[in-house]
Amino acid sequence: MQRIVVKRDGTEEKFQMKKLINAIFALLDGLDIPDDYEIVFKVAKELDLKIPQRVTTEELDYLVLKAIEQLIPKHLIYDTLASRQLLKIINRRIDRRFGSFKDYIEYGVRQNLLKEELLNFDIDYLEQNIDYSRDSLIDYFGLTTLKDRYLTKDREFEIIEKPQWFFMRVAMGIGNNEEEILKIYNKISNLEYLHSTPTLYNSGTTTNQYSSCYVNVIDDSLESIMDKAKETAFLAKYAGGVGTDVTRIRATGSKIHSLNAKSSGIIPFIKIFDTIVNAIQQGGRRRSSQVMYLQPWHLDIDAFLDLRETTGNPYFRTPSLNTAVWMPDEIMRRIKEGEPLYLFDPAECPELVTSHGEEFTKHYFECIEKAETGQLKMWKKIDSQEFFNRYLFKLAKTGHPWLTFKDRHNEHNPCPEYSVINSSNLCTEISIPNSPESTAVCTLASVNLARHINEDKTDIDWDKLKDTIETMVLALDNILDKNFYPSEESRKNTMDLRPLGIGLMGFAEALVDLGIPYDSDAAVDMAEKIAKFMRDTAYKKSQKLAEERGAFLHYEEMKKAGKPYPYPPRRNAVLLAIAPTASISIIAGTTSSIDSYFSNIYSRDTLSGKFIVINKKLMEELDKKGLWNEEIAEKIKSQGGSIQYIQELEGNINKSLYKTAYEIHPYRQIKIAAAFQKYIDQAVSKSLYIEEDLRNKMFDIYMYAWEEGLKSTYYCFIDKTVKGEKYMQKVNKRGSRRGFGLLKERVKASQSENNQEYELKEIEEKAREKYGDEIVEKVKSGNIEACPTDPLLSKICPSCE
Amino acid sequence: MSSLNFIGKTSVRDNIRLTDNPKYPVFKNLYVKQKKAVWFPEELNIQQDVLDYKSLNPTEKDLFDSAVGYFASSELLVQNVLGNGFFPVLTDPYVKMSFTAQMFMENIHSDFFEIILNTFDMDRKRVYNITLEDKLLMEKQELIIRAVDRITYGKADPDSLEGKKQILTSILLNNIIQEGLFFYSAFAHFFAMKDVGKMKNVVSGVELVLIDESLHLQNGIEAILTIIEENPEIVDDIKFVENIRDTIIDAVELELNYLKTKFGGTTIFGVSYKELEQYMKYIADRRLEELGFDPQFKISQNPLKFLQKEDVKKLTNFFEVSSTEYTNF
Ligand SMILES: [Fe+2]
Ligand SMILES: [Fe+2]
Repeated sequence: MQRIVVKRDGTEEKFQMKKLINAIFALLDGLDIPDDYEIVFKVAKELDLKIPQRVTTEELDYLVLKAIEQLIPKHLIYDTLASRQLLKIINRRIDRRFGSFKDYIEYGVRQNLLKEELLNFDIDYLEQNIDYSRDSLIDYFGLTTLKDRYLTKDREFEIIEKPQWFFMRVAMGIGNNEEEILKIYNKISNLEYLHSTPTLYNSGTTTNQYSSCYVNVIDDSLESIMDKAKETAFLAKYAGGVGTDVTRIRATGSKIHSLNAKSSGIIPFIKIFDTIVNAIQQGGRRRSSQVMYLQPWHLDIDAFLDLRETTGNPYFRTPSLNTAVWMPDEIMRRIKEGEPLYLFDPAECPELVTSHGEEFTKHYFECIEKAETGQLKMWKKIDSQEFFNRYLFKLAKTGHPWLTFKDRHNEHNPCPEYSVINSSNLCTEISIPNSPESTAVCTLASVNLARHINEDKTDIDWDKLKDTIETMVLALDNILDKNFYPSEESRKNTMDLRPLGIGLMGFAEALVDLGIPYDSDAAVDMAEKIAKFMRDTAYKKSQKLAEERGAFLHYEEMKKAGKPYPYPPRRNAVLLAIAPTASISIIAGTTSSIDSYFSNIYSRDTLSGKFIVINKKLMEELDKKGLWNEEIAEKIKSQGGSIQYIQELEGNINKSLYKTAYEIHPYRQIKIAAAFQKYIDQAVSKSLYIEEDLRNKMFDIYMYAWEEGLKSTYYCFIDKTVKGEKYMQKVNKRGSRRGFGLLKERVKASQSENNQEYELKEIEEKAREKYGDEIVEKVKSGNIEACPTDPLLSKICPSCE
Repeated sequence: MSSLNFIGKTSVRDNIRLTDNPKYPVFKNLYVKQKKAVWFPEELNIQQDVLDYKSLNPTEKDLFDSAVGYFASSELLVQNVLGNGFFPVLTDPYVKMSFTAQMFMENIHSDFFEIILNTFDMDRKRVYNITLEDKLLMEKQELIIRAVDRITYGKADPDSLEGKKQILTSILLNNIIQEGLFFYSAFAHFFAMKDVGKMKNVVSGVELVLIDESLHLQNGIEAILTIIEENPEIVDDIKFVENIRDTIIDAVELELNYLKTKFGGTTIFGVSYKELEQYMKYIADRRLEELGFDPQFKISQNPLKFLQKEDVKKLTNFFEVSSTEYTNF
């Protein structure tokens, strides 16, 4: 059947496979590949099934992409080809509209998509410094993510930005002059570090919002609740995630004096936020964007644990919100030692809210004393271990609430005179003093450690890392003055403290390069070394910036007030925070945050769809050693991405380098996070991966996280055991049972019976020829001593003769 | 008690005690698996897909609506078949628990599709009429309905050979052909959507439905294999056995005819008819082999390679897509 291609101008032509094959060959240009014919043939074969009878040229481009994409798990080369094809599709459409980067910037400004100030820079000069060859650093998953979500689109949702234009646009929104811009452009376009998602979206655009996180506090009054509802709505609108402390709100049944009525507790108020967030999420680029923090001694804690349940009264459920517990040491101690837990109403015990450490413990004992002597109206005494186990069950079941440690966060507060730290943020990596009058804001960026390995892969390239971190401090500090603040409280906090959040991704990938297994003491040592280096470098740079631009305002105020802080002046109160980097690690094509590889092959669900992710380091190593083939690929897949039990690899590679998340004991995961936390002035957001078998050890695991000094934990992933039928691999569900095959076997059996009879006759005839009828008859009548194995043929059978 | 066969006539007083040494341990196992797989549609943020739904082009929308329409009524059809059809003739308590677990899951599924209907403000009447107006879709359901109506309300005697064959046939039609072939065809349409980044939260739910349905399929396979083991004389009837095989192959034909009307000369979500044809044949061969038949089409590989994403461990960006990796148990 002749297929037809419909061209862009509407004319039709016969479909020619030859043309298509040439186009695929063109994708291989410049790559040094010995078996290019085989690769092109494979793609063409996939395509042949895909192409329908009538197809447009645009569709055809897309089908080529899909055909290549399907082959990605087979070899690294297909990832490169898919990226090239996608890039071709993106660039072709943009080239029809814009002759140059400058054209694009001017168009963007005219359309009010980009900031007018961008025109003040020497755009021709910047354009000369764009290096399109860096496109090849971005892998297919990364490029797809960029295309779907990050590259600027016009009012008709058509992409108007090439990947390198995107990096340059982001840099122009941050740098104060051409030199700074190029410094930042070179770093981010080489994927040496990346800013957080809101910065990548909005830098240089008319939506001037760079920050990822806000952390606010709700006071115990209707006015405050409604104020914060409004603030949250605006913060969420500009794609920021909001952390909110609700501990001050009085508990269910608490007296409201102005009304002479009883309070309905925290849940109905939290529900308001759920509704707001859900309304704003519609059409948004990210899902849930708020987390509620509660301290576990609050009387409404039980209902709080249930907020993310999916059944029950929907009025008490908040599917669009996240939740987290802000856990004091004294309560962890009680859980550990099996002492009872007392719950109170913050309206009666306000001193528990902001106190921490020993002071909290003192107040807590006082409250218990008051309760037991009848001086409190509302309180409850419960079994602390039973409570903690119930909490852990909810965590495993609903993913919430996360566990964060109040005293760990507060004991490292660099500005205790400013305020306590009331809670962390949406991803639990923020640790900034805040109050109902001052909403913490944090602007994040993360180093890609995998791009900081020295040439012979023996160590981190420390000089390069220093250069990157210094660039980041400068860039993030710049942003604070360019950022749009959706509320007065958030502007105030930033101007007072100038907090930065420098984090890290690609730690696990870097370890593989250095030949250090994630599950080893050496990895823990390396973590500590890197964290210390990051802190020392960032602090030095911030101190230098203070000389040029001044120290943060609150520092100067304390100095003036005669209560100076005991550290040298620096530009920023805090500088480091390790975020989960879920999206930007995809763009950078590396492992997220400080996590290990999730698996050697797995699928990842994102806003752009579902992607298959392969541990490229493993594929590369196996390929180099000639061990990579489809059989091995299938084996790895059938083992859920693990290579630990694959015989063929034994002795050929260092298997321990490629352990997957669930194969690394949670204690080790915690140890590594704790090593980073030692030097990270804000927090490390750490998800834990727990194998189903260890599920009943969750109590010990989370106790260990506390004892090791983590400030924050995040999601708890438990390996799910019930899976669907495998699509690609055949599984024998029938076992040895025969089912309808029984019939087949019977037919065969009766056939072979016939065969046997036939064979016997033949032998008998031969025997008659050879030995004569007499002997044969004797044998048949059994008069001759019978052969033990076959009475009939004893004398004839060669073995008996 | 132990003399009872897999299917037969029992009183309500029979078999109301569980034992730690079940007669059909595989069904105890399947019950536990189904229990672990339980989920609720509220766990998914389906409303996140509203804008996506509005952006589907007419062919895409038609495919989506048809798939939803087909599932919406088929889920409860499966439940009817179980409840009215062969549940009454099951004898063993664990087997019954496994099949009632399936029945409960069908509630969840129809609930899930109901929520989709409401969330996207789809025309209820039109959606439910899809299986009446599309002759081929209707035939897919009628195939099952005809066979099951022949055995309900005592019309088939589970103690007679003839009755056993009839019951076996309806298990085949329901759990293997409907849940293991027709549903699998529609699953592929949904997964193709997610592959191009559309309707992701709905498809997350379908991923959960897939896990459930593959367990239901196992319920069916185990039931059929057990009945044959206990009554090998069933396969003495060569015509009956050939008939079963033909039924499966005819069902594939029927499904292919349907797919042709949808995908004919075009691709939807990047998938073509030819790919789906190979895929259906690949799945059908699996079903044949699972029942002990030789494969018919001998397709060596699943051509829809994007489905390998369903085979491996999954990591979800929590803030973007509903996660399907949490367990309620
Ligand atoms: Fe179902
Ligand atoms: Fe089912």
